[in-house]
Amino acid sequence: MTGALAALGPAGAPVVAQVTAIEASLFAFVVLTALFTALARDVLAAVIIFGAYSLGMAALYTFYRAPDVAMTEAAISAGVTTVLLLLTLAKTTRIDHEAAFESVNLPAAGAAGLLFGGLMLTMGDIPAVGSPDAPIWSNPDVTQWYIAETYAETHVENTVMAVLAAFRGFDTFGEAVVVFAAGIAALIVLHREVFA
Amino acid sequence: MSLVDAPLAAGVTLGDFLLVAAAGFAVLAVGMLYRAVVGPTMQDRVLAVNVLGTNTVVILAILGAALDEPTFLDIALVYALLNFLMAIAISKFTVERGGVL
Amino acid sequence: MSGSDPDVDADAEGDPGGGFGRDRPPRSDGRLDSDRRQGTPYTESQVIMPTVKIVAPFAFTYGLFVTFHGGGSPGGGFQGGAIVAAVVFMIAFAFGIEATRQWLANTVVVALAVGGALVFAGIGLVPVALGGAFLQYELLPIPDPVKYGMEGVEILGIGTIVAGVLMGLFFVLAKGFSDAGGFADADAFDDEVGDGPGVNGDDPASDGGAAAPPPGVTDDGRTGSDASGPAATDGGER
Repeated sequence: MTGALAALGPAGAPVVAQVTAIEASLFAFVVLTALFTALARDVLAAVIIFGAYSLGMAALYTFYRAPDVAMTEAAISAGVTTVLLLLTLAKTTRIDHEAAFESVNLPAAGAAGLLFGGLMLTMGDIPAVGSPDAPIWSNPDVTQWYIAETYAETHVENTVMAVLAAFRGFDTFGEAVVVFAAGIAALIVLHREVFA
Repeated sequence: MSLVDAPLAAGVTLGDFLLVAAAGFAVLAVGMLYRAVVGPTMQDRVLAVNVLGTNTVVILAILGAALDEPTFLDIALVYALLNFLMAIAISKFTVERGGVL
Repeated sequence: MSGSDPDVDADAEGDPGGGFGRDRPPRSDGRLDSDRRQGTPYTESQVIMPTVKIVAPFAFTYGLFVTFHGGGSPGGGFQGGAIVAAVVFMIAFAFGIEATRQWLANTVVVALAVGGALVFAGIGLVPVALGGAFLQYELLPIPDPVKYGMEGVEILGIGTIVAGVLMGLFFVLAKGFSDAGGFADADAFDDEVGDGPGVNGDDPASDGGAAAPPPGVTDDGRTGSDASGPAATDGGER
């Protein structure tokens, strides 16, 4: 994985140099879990491995100091998604498989591989994590304003929540309505009139 | 200067040491993934995911100490609580494949 | 066969057809295997129940903490609401989904979801009524309006919406497809073709005869219903 990264792009080598041991092992874990989630023949095994995937993603988000995202990943993916998928599985029949893994569809794998390769070619142009050259720093008057002025403006310490609920509150209202609509859509799809 | 910047040896701070320790736990998680993928029974997978969850709690706690961010412990707590939910959900599901849910 | 009366559903599922529903032969009317599982009795676990009794209060408190303390630490309404809903999942797995469904009435779930949406919209619209913009917290008639306006939106708005909708999704998925409504929309279809409800309604085993066959089977069920119902064309388990 790191060798492939080094071969790609003009700035590939510095990127690899900045991948620390914990990032490399967490990346390996996440990629492996994603791969086996796609390949597992038994759906229940895929759901279980997908639960493991969320564990790795939460640790990765935490390492990149995005604790709000990590907590969302923890609460939604570990707590809710697995349970809802299991409930859905309970409503289906089980098919016994001889093979443990799905046979790979070669054209699909080729298309996915091409997409992956194309995306990897752009890796060299992506600034490293925390790099001062990142586009996010190109306009520090805006980005730093939120960090510096959030408490004075809103009297809350968590900038993420301030951005979500105050600065971009209307977007959040839309998201909340989307969640609400998801509940109604589930009722409609399942031909029910009451939740409980 | 916080505790994580305390030098342990030449050029190695406590924070670096903790990050390496967290990486070691992540490597262990990759090893544990073998049992989750191969199985062969669902009970193996349930146990493997449970161990992975505990492993992740440890990684998150170490990261919180290494990066000097005590709030990361909140995420570790969420995972500790919800990992239990995942374990009982899957283990009850494997009995009769959802028949006793 | 008059639709989604909850009592009808409860009766159909509460009758396991003699102990374990699995002992019956596969239904011949196109229902999937899951229908027979509906009749299986709930199995108590002496390990899970006491553990959940101990863990659930702490998890619930922690969910409330994440919701209420979103302003000062990672978290907020979305995460906290999800954790609170996960506590309900936990209780449901330990003490039975059906029992939890009755304990936590539909009113509570709907009140959480709808109330959250209304509170969010209301907090947004109060400043509009006072001549400001949507969600312009400064105009709220409370002390420290920006902070407590945001907290109100997070706690009473987003948190309750997420908690209510996730609980609702859990219960409605556990209940599964409506036996009465049916994939073929039995009421409307029956009225059209004059294939009265008696065909399905007289036989309790075929409650919702064309209820949940896979989409590929439904057409067979429809075409065959003139003669002898879906049973003639569908082989039950696939």
